[in-house]
Amino acid sequence: MKKISIDPITRLEGHGKIEIFLNDQGDVENAYFQVPELRGFEVFCQGRPVEELPRIVPRICGV
Amino acid sequence: MGKLKLALYWAMACGGCDVAVIDTHEKILDIAAAADILFWPVAMDFKYHDVEAMPDKHIDVCLFNGGIRNSENEHVAHLLRAKSKVMVAFGACAQLGGIPGLANEKKRQDILDYVYHGSPSTVGRKGLYPQEVTHVPEGELELPKFYDAVMALDQVIDVDYYVPGCPPEPARIMEVVLAIVTGNLPPKGAVVGALDKALCDTCPRKREEKKVRAFHRPHEVLFDTERCFLEQGLICMGPATRGGCSDPPRCIRSNMPCRGCYGPPPDVKDQGAKMLSAIGSIIDSQDPEEIEKIIGQIVDPLGTFYRFGLPGSALRKKRFS
Repeated sequence: MKKISIDPITRLEGHGKIEIFLNDQGDVENAYFQVPELRGFEVFCQGRPVEELPRIVPRICGV
Repeated sequence: MGKLKLALYWAMACGGCDVAVIDTHEKILDIAAAADILFWPVAMDFKYHDVEAMPDKHIDVCLFNGGIRNSENEHVAHLLRAKSKVMVAFGACAQLGGIPGLANEKKRQDILDYVYHGSPSTVGRKGLYPQEVTHVPEGELELPKFYDAVMALDQVIDVDYYVPGCPPEPARIMEVVLAIVTGNLPPKGAVVGALDKALCDTCPRKREEKKVRAFHRPHEVLFDTERCFLEQGLICMGPATRGGCSDPPRCIRSNMPCRGCYGPPPDVKDQGAKMLSAIGSIIDSQDPEEIEKIIGQIVDPLGTFYRFGLPGSALRKKRFS
């Protein structure tokens, strides 16, 4: 089965890629969208002083 | 000389560095006039295979923002290094690891467990984690390997220059681009787009006497908005931070103490150690017990002294298995 990769997805914030599988007739059999990024703000923000969080979490997305 | 060939990339990033480039406003037209942009995922539709198809050293300058969190980040760092004459670590994450580098305090598995299972807002199928290879009926899907730790850019590739800041100040970005265009660059390894002095040396606040008998959190005291934060017992990273974010410094101007995004000042290797030294010199006590009590009032020293640079610091410099 032929695979077309769109990597990276552009003109948006963050990382993503799309894998498109084509069958023998050249039609789309299935397509998958994947997000290949993780940083873990959910975990490393825990235990930090609450007054500091407004200066930490803006870095989740700066766009 | 023809037009400069420029590439911009984000690895483990939030996009703030890319927005800072756009925040040069109409001066972005000067950049566009001086440079052809060959790769810039946030703004233009070039793919990795377009970069792979370039001859080596085809790009004149690559402004690389974001740290190295996974194998995709590292792969693209190597790829862009091979294709670029000059590699610039752009912004705090690329320079030192940045805020996401605070994850180096945590274990890889604990992060995966919480994000995909533990967090109250996530409904995860038990035992399901992102896999590097997933078999689907049509074939295979691949995801990058999530590393044990965040690394700064120069922990995986050779870096020529560093532009500090979270994000770098737009006015300074123009200086850097113009310096590159005119070939007016300092020796390899230099920090560019910032000053060669500590942030305190650029601070307009009144300094009287640095004798601290207690450290406070901002909600615990009414403080003088004209006077040095540290003298009033509010932790400010000014003594351990490079100046140059703006004049007067950006956060100070907003009545917020510095958190150190411009990295260590010249000739300082470890920002947190420098801050410890600064704090040691201002505590007004000779009594070990009292000193310990005062030090104990500093909440989250690691997350404050290494807010933007844990991976690039002496604490977490090594690459994990």
